[in-house]
Amino acid sequence: MTVEYVPGQPQSQPQTTIAGHGDRPLLTVTDLSVTFTRRGRAPVHAVDDVSFQIRAGEHVGLVGESGSGKSVTSLAIMGLLPRGGVEVAGSVDFDGQELIGLDTATMRNLRGQELAMVFQDPMTSLNPVITVGRQITEVLKRHRDLDKADARTEAVDLLTKVGIPDPARRVGDYPHQLSGGMRQRVLIAIALACQPRLLIADEPTTALDVTIQAQILELLRELVSGSQTALLMITHDLGVVAGLCDRVHVMYSGRIVESAERRQLFARPRHPYTGGLMASIPRLDQPRGVPLTPIPGSPTDTLPWSQGCAFAPRCPNSEVDCRMHTPALEPADNRALRCFHPLTTDPRSVGATHA
Amino acid sequence: MPEPLLQVRGLKVHFPIRKGVVLQRQVGAVRAVDGVDLDVHKGSTFGLVGESGCGKSTLGRAILRLTDITEGEVLFEGVDLAQLKGEELRRRRRSMQMVFQDPMASLNPRQSIETIISEPLRAHDITFDNRRVRELLELVGLPASAASRYPHEFSGGQRQRIGIARAVALEPALVIADEPVSALDVSIQAQVLNLLEELQDRLGLTYLVIAHDLAVVHHVSDEVAVMYLGSIVEQAPSDALYAQPLHPYTISLMSAVPVPDPVVEDSRQRILLTGDLPSPANPPDGCRFHTRCPFRQETRCDDERPALREIQPGHRAACHYAEEILSGHITPREPDEALRAGVA
Repeated sequence: MTVEYVPGQPQSQPQTTIAGHGDRPLLTVTDLSVTFTRRGRAPVHAVDDVSFQIRAGEHVGLVGESGSGKSVTSLAIMGLLPRGGVEVAGSVDFDGQELIGLDTATMRNLRGQELAMVFQDPMTSLNPVITVGRQITEVLKRHRDLDKADARTEAVDLLTKVGIPDPARRVGDYPHQLSGGMRQRVLIAIALACQPRLLIADEPTTALDVTIQAQILELLRELVSGSQTALLMITHDLGVVAGLCDRVHVMYSGRIVESAERRQLFARPRHPYTGGLMASIPRLDQPRGVPLTPIPGSPTDTLPWSQGCAFAPRCPNSEVDCRMHTPALEPADNRALRCFHPLTTDPRSVGATHA
Repeated sequence: MPEPLLQVRGLKVHFPIRKGVVLQRQVGAVRAVDGVDLDVHKGSTFGLVGESGCGKSTLGRAILRLTDITEGEVLFEGVDLAQLKGEELRRRRRSMQMVFQDPMASLNPRQSIETIISEPLRAHDITFDNRRVRELLELVGLPASAASRYPHEFSGGQRQRIGIARAVALEPALVIADEPVSALDVSIQAQVLNLLEELQDRLGLTYLVIAHDLAVVHHVSDEVAVMYLGSIVEQAPSDALYAQPLHPYTISLMSAVPVPDPVVEDSRQRILLTGDLPSPANPPDGCRFHTRCPFRQETRCDDERPALREIQPGHRAACHYAEEILSGHITPREPDEALRAGVA
């Protein structure tokens, strides 16, 4: 059964009543900024004052195109950015502990145990010359102090849990012996080995075929929804977010431009970028012949946020003030929006009538 | 109905697997394309959809003879391309062009845009001037100043426009576009799709669009064929196929595509396929899809390979039980049960 969203009326019950949602968020990111510096070049602000929260058991989506800073945000949270040439500012609070500037040893203990990550390309994130079994047991030995035999048993259990057939034989396989979908399952098994409290999935299905993507998304949904594990899903695919996330943050050029509960966001996008994205994707469940309304220009046509709205050069609603002042991320009826001239109509239907 | 522009009959492309150093005896073959028939009508768009490894790109390349054909006919304007050689084939190619997936890899980084776009004209000894190049650039929505610049100066979407300008420079009858938008950012894809449609209207082009994205293929195509492991499993007019898929593979494929609408996502039923694509070097007996099929019936699916047959007018599917599935007499196995098969 689905709850109809009535535009203009507040959601009767926001979906935050899943058991165990405490009052205090598990992860609080406040004004996170990542700047890449290089001698003789202008610094690049990959992530700019990004703030959001994730509660235990909650699924949060971070959506954006290439270059929007979504992956850099996740790397900053995990402390995986290189040391040289990067300035990280702001705060990442994980259950009361500040992660930015944490010493390497403490971070290592957290990573893999409390925080885990699944990357986009399973071939490059698995070591090709080590068996997948050893890559799983490595985590178990390091974080859970299991001995060799116990770790192996546990690894077989984990492979079973992520749906790999014949796990006892597969633990001895090398990554190249597995298909793309199986490799991604192995990565998920490694990530879940210590039952982390936060799982970050960075485009976990982008390299996979549709039918395999559906399997992996179903697996993630199953593994995460039963537990207290919070999920941060990073993707460019609005479809993936629509089915999986409670709350969605849309990023553009390093900043969050719109955040909302997913039903609200999809029912009524307010930011012209969000609306533009939705209007530009062909949909399977709509008749063909409806022309697409593309967003003009390309993601590289941006203004620096310091001068105005980065999306202004591509925005159908932009006016003079968009290029003079920087819009702030303002809360507005259960969502947050960074725009002077938000959408009043749905661009998907506008596209159909204009053309 | 007029004769189709392109007719493919019983096309097979097998890549030999050889063993040994000196003798190189053939021990098997990867059956990338294994018996495909299709008709593409003038002025229409034919969409070819399937997952990676199903042979859709090989089929596209074989039609242009960029890959050798093992068996079968490719009739283009009534002439069998499979029999042509050398100069004759080269001249024929003037009316068939290709748009590639990766716009960075398919443009020579050391050539200016002018050189890239005019290359096909030079190759076919057609005299041209700067005006023609400017015209082509304008046609794909690029400024005339782009002519003297180089590929690295352009964004992905613009590079794909350059690739399209090169493909239409010879005013071909047929353009084969292999994953024309999958390397592009979401907001750019619509620009390129709209451009392709606009060019079709202006130049009367016929397209064969190859893609893995069902929504993209649905949007651009008049007729759609779904490929699985080297052969077509279902073919129908685009709207009919998407309104009522008949083959179990198409049904599962469509239910697997995420839709950017939470209301739809929450309510729809998913049919999850188990396992991965089998190896085309050693395809399963009987129906190629029976190893993953949620509708599989005992013995017949395992033993007998179904032919592509007409189930509804203009709607063909290669499934023994298409009618029963359509009428609801055969229902898919529980997705969860299927997913957990083999899992303790």
